[in-house]
Amino acid sequence: MNTMMNRRDARKNHRCVKLMIALVMMTGALLAGCYESSKVVLHKPGVYKGPTDPLVAKQASPEQQQQLLARFNQVQTDR
Amino acid sequence: MARMKFLCDAERCIECNGCVTACKNEHEVPWGVNRRRVVVLDDGVPGEKSISVACMHCTDAPCAAVCPVDCFYTTPDGIVLHNKDLCIGCGYCFYACPFGAPQYPQASAFGVRGKMDKCTFCAGGPEPDNSIEEYKKYGRNRIAEGKLPLCAEMCATKALVAGDGDVVADIYRKRVLKRGGRPQTWGWEVAYKG
Repeated sequence: MNTMMNRRDARKNHRCVKLMIALVMMTGALLAGCYESSKVVLHKPGVYKGPTDPLVAKQASPEQQQQLLARFNQVQTDR
Repeated sequence: MARMKFLCDAERCIECNGCVTACKNEHEVPWGVNRRRVVVLDDGVPGEKSISVACMHCTDAPCAAVCPVDCFYTTPDGIVLHNKDLCIGCGYCFYACPFGAPQYPQASAFGVRGKMDKCTFCAGGPEPDNSIEEYKKYGRNRIAEGKLPLCAEMCATKALVAGDGDVVADIYRKRVLKRGGRPQTWGWEVAYKG
């Protein structure tokens, strides 16, 4: 009689353990779906991302500066 | 290296709106967008003053600081320009600018904003100088042609001056002295005291 009872308990315990394992695995699977990606796009503030303006190279030349100054004196000075 | 600046002499501006018209015509600015406009202070009251306002090409531009896609860049001459291909039309620059310079054309229905548009100091954008693409997006590139902004060049009373900040400041200082003003109440020494 006792051996029969022990077998039943053992089966019950075995089922409980199986159920627990299944629950843990399901919880793990659920949590895995909610994780946050560690790959973040970082923007450096104030750093221009587009192509370079050809005017930037042009402005470095002293001829361009002289031309603009001459234009200013020609058109915008008080008269 | 020059630092390009606009200056509007309120004593000389007669609110003719010639600068506004010149800008719109030169760059074929779309309907509803005014890169430059004349603001009247104390309108109708004796002693009213008018000033022509556009992008002031700030040295530390707040529009560039708040742009989430970093579409702004500053040329070595200090001209603040932007790239319309990168602009997402979020409107942050509009809220950051103290002069109301950034504006948006109504691109489609339901108030959807188009790409931001602002004064370029007649220096175009990042496309090849004086190309069709540049003209369509930003207007004419007069700086690349060795010319200065048309709004200032068209100003009949020479109220609006655009060019090297040092030269512009020198002209204004002479004007103030001629008018019998008090040049000791402004300038670098006053602005950056101590």
